[in-house]
Amino acid sequence: MLVCLCNCTDDVSLLMVLLDTNPFFWSTSKSTSLSFSNFLSHVLAFLNSVLLLNQFNQVVVIATGFNTCDYVYDSSSSPTNQRAETLLRKFEEFVVKDEQLSKEDTVDGIGNSLLSGSLSMALCCILKSNSNDIQRVFRSGSLHPQPRILCLHGSPDGPGQYVAVMNAIFSAQRSMVPIDSCVLGVQHSAFLQQASYITGGVYLKPQQLDGLFQYLSTVFGTDLHSRRFLQLPKPVGVDFRASCFCHKNTIDMGYICSVCLSIFCKHHKKCSTCGSVFGQAQTNAPSTSNQKRKTPDT
Amino acid sequence: MPQVKIIAKNFMDMVASLPAMKLDKLYDNAFICEAILRSLPPLAKKYVLQMLYIDVPVSAKSMQEWVLADGYSKHNVAIDRLIQLRLFTEAVDRKKETTYRLNPTFQINLQKHIIHGGVLPREPMPSNITVRLPSLEDLDAYAAEQWECFLLHLISSSTQGEKTTNFSSSLMKIFQRGLLSQRDKEPPKLTESGFQFLLMDTNAQLWYIIREYITNSEERGLDSADLISFMLELSFHVTGEAYNMNTLTDSQRNVIKDLADLGLVKLQQGRKESWFIPTKLATNLSISLSDTSSRKLGFVVVETNFRVYAYSTSKLHCEILRLFSRVEYQLPNLIVAAITKENLYNAFENGIMAEQIISFLQQNAHPRVAERVPSVPENVTDQIRLWESDMNRVEITPAHFYDEFPTREVFDAACDFAREYGGLLWEDSKTMRLVVKAEILMHMRDFLRREKQ
Repeated sequence: MLVCLCNCTDDVSLLMVLLDTNPFFWSTSKSTSLSFSNFLSHVLAFLNSVLLLNQFNQVVVIATGFNTCDYVYDSSSSPTNQRAETLLRKFEEFVVKDEQLSKEDTVDGIGNSLLSGSLSMALCCILKSNSNDIQRVFRSGSLHPQPRILCLHGSPDGPGQYVAVMNAIFSAQRSMVPIDSCVLGVQHSAFLQQASYITGGVYLKPQQLDGLFQYLSTVFGTDLHSRRFLQLPKPVGVDFRASCFCHKNTIDMGYICSVCLSIFCKHHKKCSTCGSVFGQAQTNAPSTSNQKRKTPDT
Repeated sequence: MPQVKIIAKNFMDMVASLPAMKLDKLYDNAFICEAILRSLPPLAKKYVLQMLYIDVPVSAKSMQEWVLADGYSKHNVAIDRLIQLRLFTEAVDRKKETTYRLNPTFQINLQKHIIHGGVLPREPMPSNITVRLPSLEDLDAYAAEQWECFLLHLISSSTQGEKTTNFSSSLMKIFQRGLLSQRDKEPPKLTESGFQFLLMDTNAQLWYIIREYITNSEERGLDSADLISFMLELSFHVTGEAYNMNTLTDSQRNVIKDLADLGLVKLQQGRKESWFIPTKLATNLSISLSDTSSRKLGFVVVETNFRVYAYSTSKLHCEILRLFSRVEYQLPNLIVAAITKENLYNAFENGIMAEQIISFLQQNAHPRVAERVPSVPENVTDQIRLWESDMNRVEITPAHFYDEFPTREVFDAACDFAREYGGLLWEDSKTMRLVVKAEILMHMRDFLRREKQ
């Protein structure tokens, strides 16, 4: 009897949904075939279905804007009957705030949204909701309810956020929180590929965005317990390229500080992160030219 | 782990056993659809969600491709459950392949839910009419008190309880059936399942009572399907909100009075209107399990010297402790007991199992010790298990004894035969005597007859 009780509880999930609200992405018709309102209705239906599956399920929505990110909805603190209304109202407030902040900047192209910020917020929220159990997590290796993060992301990666995003990914890995990613844009996202690969989440770039709900419910609606038994999309290839710390460029090959593992695209005399002075071996002219020759032209 | 016979694992087993007609009718109610979906095993929930917008039958073969190889048993359990509850209809198509599709009423109800979000079964009353609503803590305390009172009443059987419940004595008898046994002129005694009942957690106890209540509803002129749907609907109300009694039908109003006695709802009377307030017990109805976080605070501290300190004022807790320990003294807020061999032997004789006692002590561990691993000292749990195994030194198996075999060949063949069936208990080849389990008697008889020919 007791065995049965334990088996039933473990599909309770805490789902953090990160919504990309980058206005430059959604307003460009080239970048996606889905309109923002359609996107929201798919997501709302998905949130409803997650909350339907178990009454202990909790959903928190975080909007990832261009300049800021914020909590938009938390199912544990809102009444069940006005879910959509509450969410949309908060969403509007958020978009207005985001717009006000952006007037100071000029943007060329689609720009990128603040993924690192919202990832960190999601992790904070997960750890806060389990703050009593933190010690237990490191002992037994599982949180209750089981948390996971779902990134619904469209904007291209911002190489400038590389360090922050990677730090968020590693702390998610350490607290055993899988990051699922659903890419809505045209291009694959190297950040999210790495995030899902490292944390054991699912990375998917849907072919038909009209059927987004079906993708969401089939793949991303799966609780962690059932994942052990179901066929889910497997990673095809992961783009492991890193950004350099000095110019924030994505690079295939570069220099690494042997003390703190910081990455640079050019040779420096001193590491800008930890301050260690590099020896002569690196300044050796032949080896640098060697490296340059090896670099594949991509 | 031994199966506890007296509980149907949950409410849904009972729902599944309803006749098909009634079951289909139940799905007209959106709340039942929701409650039933939530009661399904995780994989089954997943399948329902996945097939929600698929209007054509899906073949069993393609469904099997959704699962990994080591998930097949779970997959089959999920599918069986869905068919049993008539959520999936099975059909064989032209190519002789089994296909499944979702029950259309169920499907439409869930689609609505997903688009519009959850709705409440009835609107709570505005706060200007309902005065002096109890706070959530008061309500929890009320529910716990009411339930405890009911339990005490149930086990004490004689009507000595200060507060008598409104249940008719015949209904009380029905609840007690199976829990108490009464020989003529002796005071009634708790049966084996009665003891097990007391050690279960509140939710499981509640299920047992509700199940008895529903299965006997037909005798009282109530339709069991209506009752089930009302109960499930009740579980979707918001704890602590007031709901107008006028929104209920006459028969439902009668039911709600009974439920108030169990502590599921609190009834209150205003100047003009009367209303009911669902408690946590009611809103937890549709889940067949108690969530760890919602579990009430524990009160038991067990020490390595077999002393048990229970910080409780409850008479019921004292009674429960008395089932397997010697209560030494009782202070206003503390019961001190000792776990002794004699008391445990008594408990084992009454059919309580060591695991049940241990899990009771662990589940009710005082917050101070609950953080510790293990919450009950290991030497105590080990000793309880050892004492139990003391009781089981002799195992009784119904058996049959054979002797006077005509030849050694027949004897050897008979031994081999019994061994093959796994029924050989003892053999003595010198005197050619043999003991086999009673289950294989028929096979043995056939075999020996054949041997004779």
